[in-house]
Amino acid sequence: MKDSVITAEMKRRELKLWLVCFVIANVVNWCSIIKFATPWYEIFTQVGYVVSLSLVIYALIALARIAWWLLHYTFRK
Amino acid sequence: MNRKEFLSDCGKMGLAGVTLSLFPWLESCSPKAKLAVQGEKVRIGIIGTGSRGLFHIKHLVQMPQAEVVALCDNYRPHLDNAAQYYPEAKLYDDYRRLLENRDVQGVIIATPLYLHAPMTLAAMEAGKEVFCEKSMAYTLDEALEVYNRRKALGRVLFIGQQRLFDPKYVKAMQMIHEGVIGEVVGVRNYWYRNNNWRREVPSPELERHINWRLYSEYSRGLMTELACHQLQNGSWAMGQLPEKVMGAGSLIHWNKEDKRDVYDTVSAIFTYPNGVNMTFESIISNKHFGMGEQILGTKGTIDLVTAMHYTDEPAPKGSGMHQFIEQIERGVMSNSVFAGTSWAAESSALAPGKPIMQDVKVVSGESSVGAEADGSKELLEAFLHAVITGKQPEKVLEESYYATQFALLADKAMHENAILTLDEKYKVPYEPLK
Ligand SMILES: NC(=O)c1ccc[n+]([C@@H]2O[C@H](COP(=O)([O-])OP(=O)(O)OC[C@H]3O[C@@H](n4cnc5c(N)ncnc54)[C@H](O)[C@@H]3O)[C@@H](O)[C@H]2O)c1
Repeated sequence: MKDSVITAEMKRRELKLWLVCFVIANVVNWCSIIKFATPWYEIFTQVGYVVSLSLVIYALIALARIAWWLLHYTFRK
Repeated sequence: MNRKEFLSDCGKMGLAGVTLSLFPWLESCSPKAKLAVQGEKVRIGIIGTGSRGLFHIKHLVQMPQAEVVALCDNYRPHLDNAAQYYPEAKLYDDYRRLLENRDVQGVIIATPLYLHAPMTLAAMEAGKEVFCEKSMAYTLDEALEVYNRRKALGRVLFIGQQRLFDPKYVKAMQMIHEGVIGEVVGVRNYWYRNNNWRREVPSPELERHINWRLYSEYSRGLMTELACHQLQNGSWAMGQLPEKVMGAGSLIHWNKEDKRDVYDTVSAIFTYPNGVNMTFESIISNKHFGMGEQILGTKGTIDLVTAMHYTDEPAPKGSGMHQFIEQIERGVMSNSVFAGTSWAAESSALAPGKPIMQDVKVVSGESSVGAEADGSKELLEAFLHAVITGKQPEKVLEESYYATQFALLADKAMHENAILTLDEKYKVPYEPLK
């Protein structure tokens, strides 16, 4: 089995991707606040939910990437 | 005693947050009021030392302000039981002899219902202050006579309606009067048991003496034994008296086993001037629902027995994010619906209610003797206090009077199969408890 090397470049890319997910989760929170007419301080109080949602989005994207990678790998053979 | 001091005393009684001016009769229960009569002693005579009499004795032995000097019962085993607690007390088998005893200041009457009025009247005439068990009397006329005679003689008279002294009822009523459950729109009372309501009889000729509850010659059955406690709830909550009463009673089960003639199943409806109904139902051959007393308002319900408050208002919905996630969940999980479930009862009963106070003592209603922490002890203390001060507390007697009158009226309605109103001649001045 080969050693896997996670480069600093890869880590930066993943971090950026998660930051994008975090921004999306925040947008979802803002939209929920507007839709359900709840107080704006939920931007801060719901940060736990926002982080969780960002991780869910990140995980979904990761699944899509793995699927894409598997397909790519299969057809290249 | 100033207001601040009283409030702190209320806290010690488990009545924190209760407003004194609303419940003036409770003042005597406060440690402060007790202090004011410290060292004083009331010489008490007890007439009727059966189960309830003994229950009171067990409280009295803990009260330094009570000295039981005389005991009376015409059934020797009961008298001997009581005498064990007070070996020094004089013993009587005729209550008239006890009333002649000048040493006795106050009497506690715990005999069968048909004896309440004659004994109370005789005791007041003999110059004694009186605590008589509920119900106040066996007939509407007798109750009125007792009420008027007390007024004329200026005696202290307490009736054994202990809910007025039970902290959870007091707290609940204050919340109701403050509008916590909105406008009162209904009052539900029920008392279910599954037992024959009999006491063991050592020999057949004692049947009617021991099981007096079961015979209409001595008792009005479930209405005077149980309902009269609960009928207070409507008047206390709404500050008015019922306008009309209807009811149905029957003997459906226990009469197969004995010769009782009081109903073992009753349902009664009391309608108030504002149209609100109060119900009372009792069945003693099924105990699934136990004892229940609920005040129903437009914004919620207070269960007096469990001291729980249930709101009808929609629960707070949670944050926007929360609601958004719930909406997605509902979208994913729900089946497609073609029409609303119109048959489903709308109910807030499953919502988790909130206790109205801490350390609530819930009474099951199963015992026919009485339960600890149901206000009985405080009621007795208030009586002793009133004997010492010579002051009849406000409003309590009128509440007991009307509880008895409406219990009797409902029993009459059941027997006459009629809708009845309380005759003007039975109306005494009534000041609401709110
Ligand atoms: N407030 C409450 O919660 C509560 C609870 C239980 C009973 N009670 C009331 O207490 C009263 C007594 O009930 P109980 O369960 O103790 O009944 P009980 O039968 O156990 O006691 C009644 C006693 O009165 C005695 N008695 C009868 N006739 C007498 C007479 N002529 N002179 C002297 N003594 C006489 C009997 O011998 C008996 O000992 C009833 O009115 C009942 O409604 C009130």
